[in-house]
Amino acid sequence: MSSRVLPQFDLLEPRNVADVIALLSQHENQVSVLAGGTDLLVWAYIEKNKTPYVLSLSAIEGLDHLDYVAGEGLRIGAKVKVAQLLKHPDVAKHYPALYQAAENFATPQIRNMATVMGNVLRASPAGDCSCAILALGAKVVLQGPAGQRLVDIDDFWVSYGVTERQPDELAVELRIDDTSSSTCSAFQRLTRVHEDLSKLNVAVRLEMDQDTCKQARIAMGCVGPTPLRLKKTERLLTGAKISAELLQQVAAAAREEVTPIDDQRSTAEYRRQVSGVILKRVIEQAVAKS
Amino acid sequence: MKTKMITLCVNGKDHRFEVPVNRTLLQALRDDLKLTETKYGCGTGECGGCTVLMDGKDSVCSCLTLAVEAEGRHITTVGGMTHEGELHPIQIAFIEEGAVQCGYCTPGMIMKTASILANNPNPTEEEIRKGLDGNICRCTGYEKIVQAVRRASVMMDTAQTRKVGGMRA
Repeated sequence: MSSRVLPQFDLLEPRNVADVIALLSQHENQVSVLAGGTDLLVWAYIEKNKTPYVLSLSAIEGLDHLDYVAGEGLRIGAKVKVAQLLKHPDVAKHYPALYQAAENFATPQIRNMATVMGNVLRASPAGDCSCAILALGAKVVLQGPAGQRLVDIDDFWVSYGVTERQPDELAVELRIDDTSSSTCSAFQRLTRVHEDLSKLNVAVRLEMDQDTCKQARIAMGCVGPTPLRLKKTERLLTGAKISAELLQQVAAAAREEVTPIDDQRSTAEYRRQVSGVILKRVIEQAVAKS
Repeated sequence: MKTKMITLCVNGKDHRFEVPVNRTLLQALRDDLKLTETKYGCGTGECGGCTVLMDGKDSVCSCLTLAVEAEGRHITTVGGMTHEGELHPIQIAFIEEGAVQCGYCTPGMIMKTASILANNPNPTEEEIRKGLDGNICRCTGYEKIVQAVRRASVMMDTAQTRKVGGMRA
């Protein structure tokens, strides 16, 4: 027998979203939703997750759509795998930050299994797709007994591991804001080896007019309890011409704005130091490709 | 439900049996079907020892897949790579390049290589190295594994190529 054995649970296999909602309403906090399983099963093994019910999304038709519509944006169904982002030409074209996050996400096996939505729902400050999605701007579509509601990604993560999703709701879709020809974006991260979780990740979305940044969204991970928007730092970029001097000020501002901690992957001191450097680099990368 | 009757298609052959719902695909392969070529390493999706192919091209960690979730998919293990007793070009390439030392990671490495080449028949060295992310080898230092993947890609390109086991089904 292989040495790790999953705890016992009852498997629920609803065939449509309405049945999912009914089961979630019935069992509330007693049920874990299974899509990719790359987080859920690891958590189950190490006994952080021992819900008596596991609800699998496998038997549900749909929720696997990945569509870009100009003027609306990108829609990512709850069952879309990270690897699918890399195969969709519109993701590479319109959302470089998300593409680069997916490209650097974990390992090929995990990219084939893990869902994009799962990364967001995990509410980890180290989620690479989560970081890119926060910078790009998005809404999470939650479906519950009373119908659907949209939660802005800026409000979605409440604290470490906790989201706005209520126990009787299923997160059915991510809607990433549309981009235009003046939008540029990029993602970077720091790890010791490729398989590791990020010790720091960053993504930016900039609306450019020639060399001038009209609007900026900066998301940084591993520097707070959830992925963070660096709003003070963004204000330095808004309306400013991108120059070496400005990027020095931006880097200094980021170091002030982040709130990192020491953990097994890095130290607060190191994270604070590199936050400015990596932000400067990711802005240069985004602008170079626009 | 606590147990479920499932049909698993492994290496082109259907197996019908009852599993507890908390059984992983790896456990079902090793303990129920006695197909012990797929290895248990870390159990948390980091080492790649348990890598199998889904539907002939996607590498997945069988330790993080429930057996019940694999129903309806074509699963290929390294045991499905041989064809009528003949080794697959990927296996030959690993032997010829000396890419095997202790051998524990090899089943996963072979399946990862099959996945890399199914998606990209002529990968660059960089693409090979990036593709091998998620499969850990503690003996070889990877150099010979990278060379074996390259040799396999040349062999499969020039020789009569065969489809990977699960694709035959």
